[in-house]
Amino acid sequence: MEQFERIPLDLEKIKTQEEDDLFYFVDQSNVSSERITAPRYSYWRSVFRIFFSKKLNIIFLSILVLVVAMAFIFPAIFPYDKFAHNTEGIANLSPAELINRFGFSFEWILGTGQFGDSIFYGIWASARISLSLSLICALINMSIGILIGAVWGYNKAVDSVLNVVYNIIANVPYILMISVLVYVIGSGFGSFVFALTITGWLGIAYFMRTQVLIIRDREYNLASKTLGTPMARIVTKNVLPYLTSVIVTLLASEIPHYISMEVFLTYIGVGLSAEVPSLGHMISDAQTSWMSYPWAFWSPVAISAIITVILYVVGQNLADASDPRSHMK
Amino acid sequence: MKKYLFKRILFSIFALFVVTGTVMVLVYSLLDESMILANDDGYKKAKDNEKVVYRYRRYKEYGYIDYTDFSTWMIENKEQGTESYDNSLIAVQTPDETLTYPEDANCQEFVLTFQKAGYNVEWYQPITNRRGVTTSKGYLVATRDINLFVRLMNYFGNMFSFDTIWSVKDESLPMEERYIRWEWDPYSNMPALVGNGTTHRYLIYFDNQFPFVHQNIFTINLGKSRDYSDRDTVDVIMSRTGNAITEETILPKDIYSENPEKVESNLDFHTVTYSSSITSYTAETYGEGNHYINAERKLDGFTRIGNSFVIGIMATVGAYIIGMPIGIWMARKKDKLPDKIGTAYIVFIISVPSLAYIFMFAALGVNLFGLPYKWALATLPALAFVLPTISLALPSIGGLMRWIRRYMIDQENADYVKFARSQGLTEKEIFTKHIFRNAMIYIVHSIPIDILGCLTGAIITERIYGVPGIGGLLTNAINSYDNGVIIASTVFYTAISIIALLLGDLLLAKYDPRVSFTNERG
Repeated sequence: MEQFERIPLDLEKIKTQEEDDLFYFVDQSNVSSERITAPRYSYWRSVFRIFFSKKLNIIFLSILVLVVAMAFIFPAIFPYDKFAHNTEGIANLSPAELINRFGFSFEWILGTGQFGDSIFYGIWASARISLSLSLICALINMSIGILIGAVWGYNKAVDSVLNVVYNIIANVPYILMISVLVYVIGSGFGSFVFALTITGWLGIAYFMRTQVLIIRDREYNLASKTLGTPMARIVTKNVLPYLTSVIVTLLASEIPHYISMEVFLTYIGVGLSAEVPSLGHMISDAQTSWMSYPWAFWSPVAISAIITVILYVVGQNLADASDPRSHMK
Repeated sequence: MKKYLFKRILFSIFALFVVTGTVMVLVYSLLDESMILANDDGYKKAKDNEKVVYRYRRYKEYGYIDYTDFSTWMIENKEQGTESYDNSLIAVQTPDETLTYPEDANCQEFVLTFQKAGYNVEWYQPITNRRGVTTSKGYLVATRDINLFVRLMNYFGNMFSFDTIWSVKDESLPMEERYIRWEWDPYSNMPALVGNGTTHRYLIYFDNQFPFVHQNIFTINLGKSRDYSDRDTVDVIMSRTGNAITEETILPKDIYSENPEKVESNLDFHTVTYSSSITSYTAETYGEGNHYINAERKLDGFTRIGNSFVIGIMATVGAYIIGMPIGIWMARKKDKLPDKIGTAYIVFIISVPSLAYIFMFAALGVNLFGLPYKWALATLPALAFVLPTISLALPSIGGLMRWIRRYMIDQENADYVKFARSQGLTEKEIFTKHIFRNAMIYIVHSIPIDILGCLTGAIITERIYGVPGIGGLLTNAINSYDNGVIIASTVFYTAISIIALLLGDLLLAKYDPRVSFTNERG
C-alpha cells in the first residue's frame, strides 16, 4: 500500500480562517481512508425515495388506494343488484328527484339507471370487476410476454420461428379473435380473461424481444459472456435490471389498456356477459340516452377515466423512479 | 433490393393465405353454423322438408357444404346433353309424392354418382296430412362437407374475375351475337365500351360522379353478405349512400330511337346487368327483349368506403398539421408550461377509454357549437363530417405529439447535436436541419399506415355518429354471424396492413439512406 506523506497543519491558522473560509486541510488517516463512507445503495429503496419525493405522486397514490379500496370493499358491504328495483318505477331519475322522494342516502347520490338500479352502487361493483379483469390480464400477459420475449430476443432460432407466427397472428383482427373465443367458450369473467390473454401476450413479447435485441450485444454483456458467466445470470443480473423501467412503463400502460378494452368490447357487443356488472356495460347501457339521462352515462365514464388516468400517471412516475439514472442525486 | 422486394411480396401473399385460412378455421369450425339462419325469414316460414332443403341451400350459399338435389342435377344433365333425360322424372319429383326412390333408374344413378364422390345422400319422404293432401314434397339430396383447403383455394381462385363475352351462360344468346365494342353513350354524350354477352352492359363509361371514369371489366369478389341482402361484400363497400337523385334522362328502350322521350328517373342506366328472366314489366323501361336490366339508383352520398376514407384522411392530415408542431414545441420547451399541458393531454388521451372522450367532445360540439350529432340529421352535408373528424383526430394528435416529443428529446442528447452546437450552428439550424430530420425517420415509417388505415374505417366513431361507413362492417358481421363479411373484411384489413407496412419500409429506406433491407444483420 502506498504511504501518504503527512502534511503538518497549522491549527492556529485554520482557527482564524474558520469564519470566512469553508475549506481547510485535514489530517490524512490511513485507517479512515480504508473505510468506504458512501451510503448503502438499495435499488428499491431508491425507487421509492424518488417516487415519494414528488407530492403529486403521494396525492395520486392515495386516490388510487381509496378507489381500489372502495371498489373491493364497498360492493361486499352493499351488494349491487341491477334488477332489484326494476318494478318500482324509479328508472332514469336524477339524484335530486330521488333524494326528494326517498331522503338522503348514498344509494341515490348519482341517480338511477334504466332498471332503477343505483348508479353509485353500480360503479363500485363494476369498478371491482374492471379492475380485477385488468390486473389479472396484465399479470398473465406481462409474465408470459416477458418470459417469451426474453427467449425470443436471445435465441436466433426461436426468433425466426416466432417472427413468422407474429406476422400472421398480428394480422388476424383482434376483435374477431376475441369474439370467436367468447362465442365458443362463453362470455363469463374467466373466459373473457382467456380470450384477452390467448394472443394478448404476443405484442408484449414482441416489444420485449426488440428491447432484449438492443442490449443483447452490448459490450458489457459480451464481456460477461467471455468471462464465462452463465446465460441465466446474464439475463437476471445484466439484462432484466436494465429493463426494469421499460417493464414498469409497459405495465403502466397495460393496466388502463385492459379497462379501456373491456369498455370498447362491451360497447361493440362482444364483451363480458350481461350478468357480470362492468363499466363497459354501464356505459353502453346508458349511451343511447346520454343526452337525456346524463347521470347514468357520465358517472361510469368519470370513474373509468379517473381509474385509468391515475393508474397511468402513477405507473409512469414509478417507471421514471425505477430508472437507476434518476437515482444519482 | 429487387430480390428483397420479391421475397417480401411472396411472404406477404403467404401471410395473407395463412391469415385467411386461420379465420376460416375460426369461423367455419368454431362458430355454430345454425346461427346464419337465426334471423332468416325464409327459413322461419318454410316447413318440414322445405325447411331442410332451404337450410341446405343456405349452407351452400355461405360455403359450408356442397349440395345438390335431384331436380337440379337432372336439369343440369339435360343441358349438358350427356345423359338421356326422362321428362317424366322431373315431373314426378317436383309436384308431389310420386318420386320412387330408390327403384327409379335415374335416382339410382344419382345416389351412386354422389356416394362415389363422397357425398352423403338423403331421401326426405313426402309428407301428407290426414286429408291426403301433400303438404311437403319429397326431396332427394346429396350433401358433402367442404375441406378447408378446398374452401381456401376456391376463395382465392374466385377472388378476381373478368367480364368477357363468355360471361353470360344463357344458351338463348348465340355466340355470333356477342360482342364488345365502343358505342356512343347517350347518357354521358361520350363514347363507352359496351358489351353483349358480358355481365355488365357498360364495361367502361364516363359520368359526372366521382371518379368520373368507371369500369366493370375487372371485379374483386370477396364473398357474399347475408346482412346486406345477399349482395357481394365488395359491392356493399363500394356502393353509394345518401338520397336518390332524380334527373331528366331517357329510358334504355329509347336510346336508338330518333326522338327519345325525356323522363324523370332516379335510375343509373350505366349499371344494368344481364338477367335471363325478363318480363313485360321490365320491357316498359328497358325495351322488348332487352336482357340488360336491374339498374341501380343514383345516390348523392359518397360510397361507404368513401365516407370512412374522407373522415379518416381529414383527421389524419389534421393530426399531422396540429400534432407535429405541438410535439416539436413541447420538445423545445421541455419541462416548461407547454410541455406540461401537452403531457396532460397525452395522458388523458392514452388512458381514458376512447368511448368516453368521444362522447365528451360530442357533448361539447353539440352544446357549444350546435353541430349536428347524428349523420342523418345534418342539414348541411359538410357539417356532418365535422364531429366524426374531430373525434378521430384527437387520439392521432395525442399520439403524434407523444412520439415526436420523445424522438426529438432523444435526438437532442445525441453526440452529433452536441458537435453541431460546438461548431457554432444556431439553435434554429440544429433543430430544423438535424434534430427534426432525424426524428422524422420514425414518423415517416407510419405515414402509409395512417393513410391506408383510413380505408378500414373507425368502429366507435362511426357507430356513435351513425356514419354510413365501413368501420362497423366487421363488428356488425360478427354480431350477426355474417360469415362472408367476416372473411372478406379480414382479407381486406390484412391486405391493407401488409401493403401499408411494405410501403412504410420502402419510404423509410428512401428517406433514410442508412436503412437497407438487402444487407441484413442480426
